[in-house]
Amino acid sequence: MMLQYFKDLESGIAAKIKENPDIPNARRKYALEVSRLGTRLYSGENSVAWCGVTAPFDLLSAMGVTSCFVEFIGAMLASTGAIGTFLDHAEHSGYASDICGYHRSVLGSAKQGLMPVPDFLIATSCPCSGGLAVMENLAEMFKKDLFVLHIPQDESGKNVKYLADQIEQMTGFVSAHTGRPIDEDALRMAIENTNLARELMKEVFELASHVPSPTNGHDLSNFGIVMALLLGTEAGVNISKAYRDEFAARNREMKPGMPGEKHRLMWIQNRIQFRSPLDKLLREQYRANIVVDELNSITWEPIDPDDPYTGLARRAISIPFNGTIRRRVNHLQKLALSYKIDGAINPCHRGCRQGAGARGLISEGLKEIGIPVLNLEVDVVDPRDFAEAQLSTRIEAFIEMLDART
Amino acid sequence: MSDNKGYIGFACAYTPLPIIYAAGYTPYRILPMGDSPDQAGHILHDNLCPHIKRILDRAMGNDLPDLAGMVFMNSCDAMRRLADAWHRVRPDINMILIDLPATTDEIAVSFFTGEISKLIDAVSEWSGKKTGIADIEYGILLYNQISDFMNELTEKTYGGKTNTSVSVLQKLFNRSVTGSPISFIEDARRILSENEQGKATKGGVPVFLFGHVLPDPEAFLLFESSGAKIIGDDLCTGSRFFNPVATDGKKGIVENLAESILLRPPCARTIDITMPGKIGNVMISKAKKIGAHGAICHVVKFCDPYLSRMPSIREEFRKAGMPLLVLEGDCTLRSIGQQQTRIEAFIEMLR
Repeated sequence: MMLQYFKDLESGIAAKIKENPDIPNARRKYALEVSRLGTRLYSGENSVAWCGVTAPFDLLSAMGVTSCFVEFIGAMLASTGAIGTFLDHAEHSGYASDICGYHRSVLGSAKQGLMPVPDFLIATSCPCSGGLAVMENLAEMFKKDLFVLHIPQDESGKNVKYLADQIEQMTGFVSAHTGRPIDEDALRMAIENTNLARELMKEVFELASHVPSPTNGHDLSNFGIVMALLLGTEAGVNISKAYRDEFAARNREMKPGMPGEKHRLMWIQNRIQFRSPLDKLLREQYRANIVVDELNSITWEPIDPDDPYTGLARRAISIPFNGTIRRRVNHLQKLALSYKIDGAINPCHRGCRQGAGARGLISEGLKEIGIPVLNLEVDVVDPRDFAEAQLSTRIEAFIEMLDART
Repeated sequence: MSDNKGYIGFACAYTPLPIIYAAGYTPYRILPMGDSPDQAGHILHDNLCPHIKRILDRAMGNDLPDLAGMVFMNSCDAMRRLADAWHRVRPDINMILIDLPATTDEIAVSFFTGEISKLIDAVSEWSGKKTGIADIEYGILLYNQISDFMNELTEKTYGGKTNTSVSVLQKLFNRSVTGSPISFIEDARRILSENEQGKATKGGVPVFLFGHVLPDPEAFLLFESSGAKIIGDDLCTGSRFFNPVATDGKKGIVENLAESILLRPPCARTIDITMPGKIGNVMISKAKKIGAHGAICHVVKFCDPYLSRMPSIREEFRKAGMPLLVLEGDCTLRSIGQQQTRIEAFIEMLR
């Protein structure tokens, strides 16, 4: 089912790009690579690793492994509208309905035999202990070997070396399963691609902070988190370049992504992954533009190709979900100020203890710099109990409050 | 060596207590008990583990002794968020968050040794005096004594070789982590003599109890009044807490401490990569070894490490033919009391 879905998606998007090949087509190129990744995962033709969110995907790619964090599958199932079946199945199998929807859907899918059987799994302790638990579950279900990367909370003491050593150890684990030793040239090339994409993404984010923004609130949805899967590849570089060119042109030609942009918003953590009327409501009725997502930023320095494990370790430690909430709040404040936002929306993904568990502290942190936060109560992948009317009313009230402040 | 500098609070069973004692403090476990008003949900989220919320409620409701510091372990998302929220509501109290690996291999032990060293530096700073190796060795010896005492008492109590009831045993577990360790054994003997005669359950269906936190001694009385005889446990407020530290001098004392904590019977959050999902089998082995007719698993709501593993645990119990009752609670006696009919029916089935 999913293989056919990704194949159809891939051919449909490729045809659209062909219709107008001379424009950057940034979002389409992004979607094309996402569908290609899906095809590779489900085709049964590649070495596949299911991973945690902060695994070094560029390193795995250099080792010839198609790797992906499992939450990606939850998001894809939600976007296809088929996720309800998998959530139901997981719940009927005994998984509590209040654990993270991403993880429930993946477990439901695996239980139904619809997740590709991986060659091995790599769990990461960041961003969440729920993620670790799902990886242990999958390793048990698939009867496949599991490697755990413990991501320390910060860079103090010997933490970077500790993680760098684990990543190096991981390459041995991967080689033992693929039968292929690490190719130093391939790794160097992957790191160079990663650094190139990093520079381009940085430019993309700087361009997106322009007032009015070249993004339309949808262009960069899921971009930062999904791009992690494409780092190290030429595709990752090409997508970043397409975005950079498209946004630069829009700014130069004064063609904002959302004409009449009235309110500039920040979206905290993950977007709602299923079709919801809230996007349209924000965009069309209120001209409220989501100009920045929490994970659309570069928090890490270029990686030294001569010492890749250290750079990969620093990158994993740097993500905003790691460490204390003060660190995350500092990151959000920085984004809020550089994007000149008027307000922020936190969906408070139900079941996310690490994210939603901090909602009060995040609201207080943004209030320190005068940014109001709308805390919703949504499971961002589970449309079954999506309370459209209530959420619309809350958004309406929030926008009225923003109107009153201008 | 004394612990007269006051209390240092902690919340997780993985906390290295000998270090706190070595710095001259009494470790004080903030148990999720008491009647503090519900306030934590405003700062955290209502869908967060009640163990964590009740600890924060106690901090917000000033239902704590004076604390010279607070030690948090990064054992799960909820604990991490508790540390953040604590910093917000009690900025007046020193605090430290110690990272805790999810695995127990050599590299994890080495990292955790470094984290314990950070704790040594922190408590030294808080006390204004360097905590030396001799202090730590003494702290370890003291806690090893308590560990031996509690392990022996636990075995005797569950084995029916004393008149001690399991609710009194739980009182002692609670006392062992909330009062001075130096007078613990003496206090324990007094508590035992006060509660000794004729209190232990004579009948009842032998049951193994495992799960998360269950500190309220009344809960054990409730199990007994439902017809169960608890003959073993694997709870982080119970027998899982104590694991003696090696003092054979083969490794450094801090490394020995790290190893002992990481290698103690694991909480669901700790992963053995050689055997993913082994917790169900471990619990079954324990239950069978002691001759339990069935097992009761008590988990608190919203505890991801346990909830995510429950289907696998249930499946293992089913395959082993060992009856299992799962209770979800919110750390209040009321939440268990509401399930008394289920407990009674389960015990009836086991008869």
